[in-house]
Amino acid sequence: MDKEIILEVKNLTKYFPVTSGLIRQRKVAEVKAVDGLSFSIKKGEMLGLVGESGCGKSTVGKCILQLHRPTAGEVLFEGKDLCRLSDRELQPLRQKLQLIFQDPYDSLDPRFTASDIIGEPLRIRGLHRGPDYRKRITELLDIVGLSPYMADRYPHEFSGGQRQRLGIARALSLQPSFIVCDEPISALDVSIQAQIINLLDDLGEEFGIAYLFISHDLAVVRHISDRVAVMYLGKLMELADRDGLYASPLHPYTQALLSAVPIPDPAVEAERPIIVLKGEVPSPLNPPSGCVFYPRCPKSFESCPKVPPQLKETSIGHSVACLLYPTSWPKP
Amino acid sequence: MSAAPLLEVRNLTTHFHTQDGVVKAVDGVSYNVNRGETIAIVGESGCGKTVSALSILRLIQEPPGKIISGEILFDGLDLLKISKEDMRKTRGAKISMVFQEPLTSLNPVLTIGRQITETLEQHRQMSRSAAQEEAIHLLNLVGIPQPEQRIKDYPHHFSGGMRQRAMIAIAISCQPKLIIADEPTTVVDVTIQAQLLELIRSITRELGTALILITHNLGIVARYAHRVYVMYAGRIVEHGPALEVYHRPAHPYTVGLLASVPRLDEPRKVRLVPIEGQPPDLISPPAGCAFRPRCAHIGELCQPNLPVMFEVSSGHYTTCWMAQKETKPWTKK
Repeated sequence: MDKEIILEVKNLTKYFPVTSGLIRQRKVAEVKAVDGLSFSIKKGEMLGLVGESGCGKSTVGKCILQLHRPTAGEVLFEGKDLCRLSDRELQPLRQKLQLIFQDPYDSLDPRFTASDIIGEPLRIRGLHRGPDYRKRITELLDIVGLSPYMADRYPHEFSGGQRQRLGIARALSLQPSFIVCDEPISALDVSIQAQIINLLDDLGEEFGIAYLFISHDLAVVRHISDRVAVMYLGKLMELADRDGLYASPLHPYTQALLSAVPIPDPAVEAERPIIVLKGEVPSPLNPPSGCVFYPRCPKSFESCPKVPPQLKETSIGHSVACLLYPTSWPKP
Repeated sequence: MSAAPLLEVRNLTTHFHTQDGVVKAVDGVSYNVNRGETIAIVGESGCGKTVSALSILRLIQEPPGKIISGEILFDGLDLLKISKEDMRKTRGAKISMVFQEPLTSLNPVLTIGRQITETLEQHRQMSRSAAQEEAIHLLNLVGIPQPEQRIKDYPHHFSGGMRQRAMIAIAISCQPKLIIADEPTTVVDVTIQAQLLELIRSITRELGTALILITHNLGIVARYAHRVYVMYAGRIVEHGPALEVYHRPAHPYTVGLLASVPRLDEPRKVRLVPIEGQPPDLISPPAGCAFRPRCAHIGELCQPNLPVMFEVSSGHYTTCWMAQKETKPWTKK
């Protein structure tokens, strides 16, 4: 029943130092970008990671791929803790871990042709040499829905959606088993977004790829993810399977996030009350004590500023970090 | 209700002359806004929605841009015919604008307070001290805590949401009759978006201000707009009361847009239905119906030329040939 876990993150923590001084840089503070995150992703699963800008969701993706070295914690992939591996030891594993970027304009080299872009990982690895190389490029273009004759075009000749397809083809070229998608559709137009979502969905199914899908668009995350993690100010607030989270969100933050998404139907919107959170996200330099969400929380009570809530499972597969919920549930 | 609309845009055409050719950014667009009403202009990037709004305020840089033809009747006065000086008196006083990026549209070397008092002194002939007081009042109104202190801050001291609040304060400072909000919440987070839009709505209701909301977000339009104009490739392809347009869309582009976004209130779809293809190049758009190359409902009624606005129901118009059929090809269920 349970599919095998492909990636496990335990207590992932990343602090960025804030330095002062021109010559001798002293560390004056720390930005707690990611603070003790734990979750796992199964083979072929899509885990959605949602949160507002600055909550640390992109940092999580980069820490998993070891593009940022985490301050503490473990990232277990194929039984190895990636955080303990040297750059050299990481090399062979990197081809299985890929990244799709947010901005299809900045993430492609303007002086490379499409085939150079897609083929660069192959050239670096020395795979598909000779006539086989061109065949593989054609195959990859086909997989992402581009025509083979586009192989010699430059990025500026492609539209935004097509560029994102190139980015996806590049990520697929080494047949990865895990891909971090960092806001892959937020730079695209509405009518194009659905094309890319469908493509990612198909690829996940066809090649059994596990995804970490980082996004701030809750409707899209619901559409595409199997499970969803909600982050706020570097911490995990709620983690649940898709239907559980969207049908009965437990954390007041998740409830507010969901209520803030307007629904494209005037009849529904005319009736729907929304939870408007007060204030703004505090600085991660100096996060609130206790529960980091309490200053904005409509349901906070006297314990909230004192006790930092732990992520606890309240029902099977549904965890929440909030003092409103009992810390244990009767096991059947 | 039969009173003349506050703003009437007739056949507006704005072109940009570039090295590659003439970009027909806005190509014969007409719309009107009644007093106190909120209308939305929806469309994807590059469809001309921002250019059409900037044309109202005559903020199109010339060259490369040029308003080729059309009339913009505001309170009965054609804004394209009045002098530059009169236009300057209108801008900010009678029509104001909330821009998309508050960081680039606020002046970084002036304090927030100065940017508000500037408008008050210019348009309402207030003294410095009176303007100062009014600015504090306005900042308080838009929900900025400790306005007496924050008034001395520079834009970089403010967060994105607060900058946008300051922009709203500037926009309402002269109690304009019309506010144009161009993607006011695209760069902020969803919880801040809710704060700002609820604020804009309560202010426009209270002051009886009309609002043109320019956005690509169909959810925002559904919540805040009375009437909707859907733009595609520089033209309006459909318009009508929001409920009508959403429940009985009459242009395949609108149908496609609504089908391509996932909705939180509905059971999850197994698959999204995207609009295939790309928006056309506005230098050489397809002749006739610009949506034709992407349209899934081309039929026997489609003709090479563009149909004139055709009324499908009371106040609901479209420029689709196939919409003239009794049963629309996309309403099969």
